[in-house]
Amino acid sequence: MQPWMVLVLWLVYLALSANFELRNVVLGLLIAGGITALVHPAPYRIEPQRVPAAVWAAVRYVFVVAKDVLEGGLQVARLTLDPKLPIHPAIIAIPSGTESEMATALSAHAITLSPGAMVMEIGDHGAMYTHTLDVTVPDEVYFEMQARRRDLLMEIASEP
Amino acid sequence: MESVFQLLAALAVVVGTTFSALGILGVLRMPDVYTRLHATGKIGVFGAVLLLVAAILVLPKGAGKGIVLIFFLLLAGPVTAHSLSSAAYRIGIPFAKPMRNDLAAVTETFDADEQAEPQRKA
Repeated sequence: MQPWMVLVLWLVYLALSANFELRNVVLGLLIAGGITALVHPAPYRIEPQRVPAAVWAAVRYVFVVAKDVLEGGLQVARLTLDPKLPIHPAIIAIPSGTESEMATALSAHAITLSPGAMVMEIGDHGAMYTHTLDVTVPDEVYFEMQARRRDLLMEIASEP
Repeated sequence: MESVFQLLAALAVVVGTTFSALGILGVLRMPDVYTRLHATGKIGVFGAVLLLVAAILVLPKGAGKGIVLIFFLLLAGPVTAHSLSSAAYRIGIPFAKPMRNDLAAVTETFDADEQAEPQRKA
């Protein structure tokens, strides 16, 4: 039994139903417990003393990604409205800088979330083949953004 | 306080709708499927999310549902863009213009297989 899993599912259920009557609260707990018991999620060790640092890193991660998304959105809006449509598409390889599949997947998610860049394939050793709208932006800009994301993701996962 | 929320909601609706319109304009103007997917991504990230933010501001009682929906939208949007572009590349939809392609080097063998496929059928 994974108590964390039950807690998260329970909170999601309560958020979705937005009904805090005792009956509904108990029902949510039963559903969360039932799902956890049926699905057998892989055990994930959580060290309580690492949780505050991980939460803080997660908050910073959300802000870093939000900033990238906003900048990307404005950039694509500008490109779309420009009468000359000055796009210079290309596929560039961005190294994820980690062997962790989860961190690579989350990095690819963040890149694709920000308009103007879209991960098409993930190759060996976490190479992310990214379709970008503006190849005039130097590769180093993408590499730097990725390094920042990777460091935060590693902090969240409590990996060195 | 109520009117502040109303004002913010109206602002979110205007910005969200503007970005959605820009996204559609992008789909019309962009030259190929890959660049078009960039434009549609904007509708998902800005358009739908900002409209949900407006809904949360007007009806705070449903905030939980709204936040979970935003979370799932932000989680699923990039996955669809990635799988559509990846699928388009695999079935060999060409780019509008020749361009730098780091992916070509690693998928050479894959491309050769793809080209052999139709010949076998013919």
